[in-house]
Amino acid sequence: MQDALLERLRTAVGSANVLTGVELSPYVVDGRTPEAAVFPGSLEEVAMVIGLAAESDVPVVPWGGGTAASVGTPAARAALVLGLRRLARLVEHEPGDLTATVEAGMTIAALQAVLRGRGQWLSLDPADAERATLGGVLSADASGPRRHLYGTARDLLIGVTVVTADAAVVKGGGKVVKNVAGYDLPKLFIGSYGTLGVIVEATLKLRPVPEDERLVALRFARLKDAAAAVRALLASDLIPNAVELLDATAATALVAGVAGDAPGLGKTLAGAPPATPPPTGALLVVGFDGLPEQVEWQCAELARLAAPHGGRDAAPLASEAWPRLAAAARAAFPVATAMMAFDVLPTQVAELMEQGAGVARARGLQTAWAAHAGVGAVSAALFTDGEPREPGPVAAVLGEWREMARAGGGHAALEWAPLAVKSQVQVWDDLGAAGRIMQRIKAQLDPKGILNPGRFVAGI
Amino acid sequence: MATLTSGRKTVLRRELEAIVGPGGVLSDPDELLVYESDGLTLFRALADFVVFPTSAEQVAAVVKLAGREGMPFVARGAGTGLSGGCLPAEGGLVLSMMRMNRVLEVDYANQLAVVEPGLVNLHLSWKVGPKGYYYAPDPSSQQACTIGGNIANNSGGPHTLKYGVTTNHVLGLEVVMPDGEIVWLGGRTRATPGYDLAGVFVGSEGTFGIATKVVVRILKKPQAVKTVLAVFDVIDQASAAVSAIIARGLVPAAVEMIDKLTINAVEDAFGCGYPRDAAAALLVELDGLRVGMDAQTERIVQACRDAGAREVRTARDETERALLWKGRKSAFGAYGRVSPAYMVMDGVIPRTKLPYVLRRVNEIVAAHGLRVGNVFHAGDGNLHPNILYDPRKPGDEARVVEAGAQIMRVCAEVGGSISGEHGIGLEKIDFMPLIFSAADLAVMQRLKNAFNPTGLCNPGKVFPTKKSCVEVGPVAYKPHAIEETGLAQRF
Repeated sequence: MQDALLERLRTAVGSANVLTGVELSPYVVDGRTPEAAVFPGSLEEVAMVIGLAAESDVPVVPWGGGTAASVGTPAARAALVLGLRRLARLVEHEPGDLTATVEAGMTIAALQAVLRGRGQWLSLDPADAERATLGGVLSADASGPRRHLYGTARDLLIGVTVVTADAAVVKGGGKVVKNVAGYDLPKLFIGSYGTLGVIVEATLKLRPVPEDERLVALRFARLKDAAAAVRALLASDLIPNAVELLDATAATALVAGVAGDAPGLGKTLAGAPPATPPPTGALLVVGFDGLPEQVEWQCAELARLAAPHGGRDAAPLASEAWPRLAAAARAAFPVATAMMAFDVLPTQVAELMEQGAGVARARGLQTAWAAHAGVGAVSAALFTDGEPREPGPVAAVLGEWREMARAGGGHAALEWAPLAVKSQVQVWDDLGAAGRIMQRIKAQLDPKGILNPGRFVAGI
Repeated sequence: MATLTSGRKTVLRRELEAIVGPGGVLSDPDELLVYESDGLTLFRALADFVVFPTSAEQVAAVVKLAGREGMPFVARGAGTGLSGGCLPAEGGLVLSMMRMNRVLEVDYANQLAVVEPGLVNLHLSWKVGPKGYYYAPDPSSQQACTIGGNIANNSGGPHTLKYGVTTNHVLGLEVVMPDGEIVWLGGRTRATPGYDLAGVFVGSEGTFGIATKVVVRILKKPQAVKTVLAVFDVIDQASAAVSAIIARGLVPAAVEMIDKLTINAVEDAFGCGYPRDAAAALLVELDGLRVGMDAQTERIVQACRDAGAREVRTARDETERALLWKGRKSAFGAYGRVSPAYMVMDGVIPRTKLPYVLRRVNEIVAAHGLRVGNVFHAGDGNLHPNILYDPRKPGDEARVVEAGAQIMRVCAEVGGSISGEHGIGLEKIDFMPLIFSAADLAVMQRLKNAFNPTGLCNPGKVFPTKKSCVEVGPVAYKPHAIEETGLAQRF
């Protein structure tokens, strides 16, 4: 990187807020070290940094907590990491309006802590809440188990401030919960992985904290039996806030993890002794919230309607299980070799899990599967016990998984994998005509390709 | 654009007929008159053709023909819009989607339906109702408005407080792009890779292309519903009750406010049992599980009492509930009893600003020597002040327009928006700079360029223009016959 640019960046944000050399190790992605990492302290400084980078034709990689940094096609060029951690204030919270305006670098955990103190919460529960920042969660469209009832970022984000590639500060949406003035720019930036603009501030809808909330776990001998119970649940009058389906490997890790940290599994609803981790089969974990009597009634009703499908040992699960459910497949292994995320129809979830595991087993590879089953979001972890000596089998399995999802009209994205595997398996699906529209949007908003270039879908 | 010669018009008509069939083209000025405006009747413009396609391929062929001819085109549903959004350019082509009105598929297990854009909103709930499902967005015109029109405007309705607006219920769309290419945006799954194209298409007011198939979510009907009417002697108390309900951790399905003038108009017309001397009434609806419903209702009742309600009534059965809702839903038809004309406003403010803004609205209208009726979605701060006036009285129209503009400014000043559900269309293009900077609008323009580079798809909408080619005037509203009888209304 030119020394002149570095000097100007230091002048813009202060020397202490520009990292170079060995300090950059936390920002290495896919083996590539960035030119520098810059941490602006204000909206104006973000715009200055982007302006300086654009002038020098150095790409900019926006960085929140780094929890999704591995997602994407390996970058072609070294870039400037633009960290948002110094922009971490809760700007405005008016409880009566059920809205909050938050700077992008605030972590989800910090935000929730403040809001909960005032009886409200942001109904978004992605994994790694201690590290994940709001800006990063929006950019990656991350979510967690409670999306079953409360939706994802697109259902909660009502306004956004971004700095665009030409260093302009742009606002989309507003601060009110209902708004159709102008195009829906907040939707454009959700899940755009920093390729269209750097999110610096967001306004979100909030919800009151429910009086009571509970997780119930049920064991099934087979995944397909659990899937039948999910269908019965979705067709019932119950209003679960989470419907999680875990295979035996993910379930074992979940239950063990919860039991290790906390009292763990309590008594079953019927008063039987605590359930033991299921060695085979599947675990269905369902969340309910509301008034205590509503939660109580629904837990009992769930056990009743799952019984004909072979659901047994209904037991409350400690609330510590919630954050683990957001990453249940990943947590099944010390370090997963590769992670793939799928979006399929809810009715296709169990079959994908079953067949996907079979494909890996045939090649001697271990897997763990977990799904937000009611919304068809499936996550798979593949494990090879150490760096694979040969990327071929891992790549082959991932390729087959993608084909299985695509055959049913679904989608797959490679969330992480060793570089050698990434060179054999595409990170993103081919998007055809829709991909061409996305390329046109990128060309309109970032014609010089300054923002996180080459990492996203369709070569964006 | 240049006017077509009659010879050229005949040639083009034959070409269009070859695409959509001989019964699918209108070009006689008498027939075209029906399509010269939407629900906002003061804006008018006559198209050269109205065509009625029956398939995506026909839409694509018509759009390609329009592109070849450099003819502007716009899709139209039932024409119930209130911002001039589906008005044709002077000349050009209207694609009426009303013959593409089928429910193509219902997948109950995955809680989705695939429908054509000309399907009437309520007809979808009728279709899936027998199996215990419904389509949640419920604009008050839902007996007439179409799913395609709802997509253009990202329409809301009373129950969007809890369930969200159209965009929260659309999973994917098959779209004919402005260049005639047929493309899927989004799909059947809850998420699709890449930018949220379906998300930006919804609410783009017909300027990004024409939807030809729509995948929407359908929801299970709630087990139980409770409806409460709270009556207040002071309008500020009713406003405060809205925030009090929210502050108690309750999320009702709907919270609607009706002011004194409106109550009296409704009582004159239909006799729904609202007290005429009340300053305002709140209609609050809860839905969900039967268990706990009474306890939650009691909290609503208590919150309203604590805010100063002089009377709180809970509907005992479906008949009483329907009567309470009739008072709310027939309000617009009832205004016809008390005024020869009125202008419908649509703005949004933060809920907590309701007391201040309602006072300002009443002051502004009074200062212009006019009267206003308020009936609106109080729970999400979506105001609908309706300024009553007499078009025969000299100067009245100009005063209405000025008062309306001042109300928009107040909404912007308190951090609100200039439209909650009716859209910008043509009506509000000049208010856009109240809430968006030049940089904000430039990004929107670039987004539009990515979808609609020639600008032929619904030109002149959404963005402010220095000179408008359409006469700008006050926004008179004439109720439809079914509104006058209290069967349906616009919002």
